[in-house]
Amino acid sequence: MGQAAEDTIEQPLLAGNAVRVGADGTVYLVGVQCAGCQTKVFPPVPVCPECMSEDIDKIDLSSDGSLYSWSVVHVAPKGWNVPYIAGYVDLPDDVRVFAHITGADPGSLEMDMAVTLTTAVLGDKDGAAVESYAFTPKQA
Amino acid sequence: MREVSVVGVGMVPFAKYRDKTLAEIGWPAVKAAIEDAGVDKRDIEAAYCGSALGGMMSGQRVLKQLGITGLPIINVENACSSSSSAFRQAYISVAAGVYDVALVLGVEKLTKFGGGTLPLEEEDFEVTHGLVMPALYGMRARRYMHDYGLTDKQLAGVAVKAHKHGSLNPEAQFRNEVTVEEVMAAREIAQPFTLLHCCPSGDGAAAVIIMSVEKARQYTTKPVRVACSEVNSGKYMTGFRDMTTPEITVRGAKQAYEEAGIGPDDVDVAEVHDAFTIAELLYYEALGFCAKGDAAKLLEDGETSLGGRIPVNPSGGLLSRGHPIGATGAAQIVEVVRHLRGQAGDRQVEGAKVGLTHCTGGGISGFDHGACSIHMFSV
Repeated sequence: MGQAAEDTIEQPLLAGNAVRVGADGTVYLVGVQCAGCQTKVFPPVPVCPECMSEDIDKIDLSSDGSLYSWSVVHVAPKGWNVPYIAGYVDLPDDVRVFAHITGADPGSLEMDMAVTLTTAVLGDKDGAAVESYAFTPKQA
Repeated sequence: MREVSVVGVGMVPFAKYRDKTLAEIGWPAVKAAIEDAGVDKRDIEAAYCGSALGGMMSGQRVLKQLGITGLPIINVENACSSSSSAFRQAYISVAAGVYDVALVLGVEKLTKFGGGTLPLEEEDFEVTHGLVMPALYGMRARRYMHDYGLTDKQLAGVAVKAHKHGSLNPEAQFRNEVTVEEVMAAREIAQPFTLLHCCPSGDGAAAVIIMSVEKARQYTTKPVRVACSEVNSGKYMTGFRDMTTPEITVRGAKQAYEEAGIGPDDVDVAEVHDAFTIAELLYYEALGFCAKGDAAKLLEDGETSLGGRIPVNPSGGLLSRGHPIGATGAAQIVEVVRHLRGQAGDRQVEGAKVGLTHCTGGGISGFDHGACSIHMFSV
């Protein structure tokens, strides 16, 4: 974790400026931290919701978190690959991230299990694959 | 602040009115409330219209049908809490002495979207990543099941009760009873919910006439008193939040009970926001009808069924009466007022003196719910 590197390669991910792909291909979730009160927020925002400071820095968030809860979604707006697993992941940064949980059988998921950041194709728009960040169970 | 009374109520049956406009759906509810109050439409001094997705000037579009124009018409949007929020605005204006007679309207036409999950705000980050309301409530349910040992079968029991009550309500969208087995075998929507765990999409309208208590006495010998009126927004949280505790409802209930000087043990009938089965159980606890973790037992013991200690959603609730979202808050008030007047027909809660309505609105990132409104009424 630390300051987001300057030499990044932008990829057309759905999450826009909330995701950064490093030169080596590593994916990071990008949040912000308020320079005044240290509050962290995901996705990036221009003003701190705690103290209203606009003096905020972009940071790479932790790529590991714990799965707070999830639901297998069978009915969703057009474009998503259903069924998909929707989940909330709590990061050690005290940031909660909504994410698709991929690479796992729903029956194998457990509350508070360790998950790690990945990317995945989540659907399609006008025939083009829609890719974004996702979380997947962390291999022991 | 002056005491405020409900003098007239009316609604149209919740259903799918694909061939009607929002205005055509809305006006019969308003006319029914005016006739119920026995008031001249020209005596209405202000109107407050709640609609979430009705579009620009929903109130004017409905009220011009009845020639109720030339007065202040305020349109209120607060997602599912739209018309309960509109009620509060009307209440404040009458309580403050600005008006003696005000109209509250809730109206919605969801069939214009063609079905599926409720369309949410597309600027919202989580929505852009596939958050849908059934998934949000589904995650609440799964966490509650994990933390408190709630079973799928117990959860299905909420839908069974809702449909049983709804079968007695001529204005309910669903009037069929269902079994636990039918609920569990229905089409999957978002785990742990099948279709019967989810409120239906539909259309409807409900209206309420309120007056200062002095004015109300000119129209009725049995006005229903507004015992408290409460609206809150959720607290925006960027990190952990306990999804088994609906913080906005807990906070709102505390305020509402303090304002009313009435506690949860005194409530005879309640209409709560059971958009999905889990919600009703969470709200038993948040509203203080039982202790944390005891909601399934309260349901299984029949305490919240008609004939029980605190019947919840005698109308059938959102699950069975239906949930045309902007109309729901007003419809809950219509239902509770009918019980307090002894006019609720086959589903009447006998001897009801105190009623509570609770309506939340959600669907944006970082909130348990964006809005919540709690009202209490007494006779």
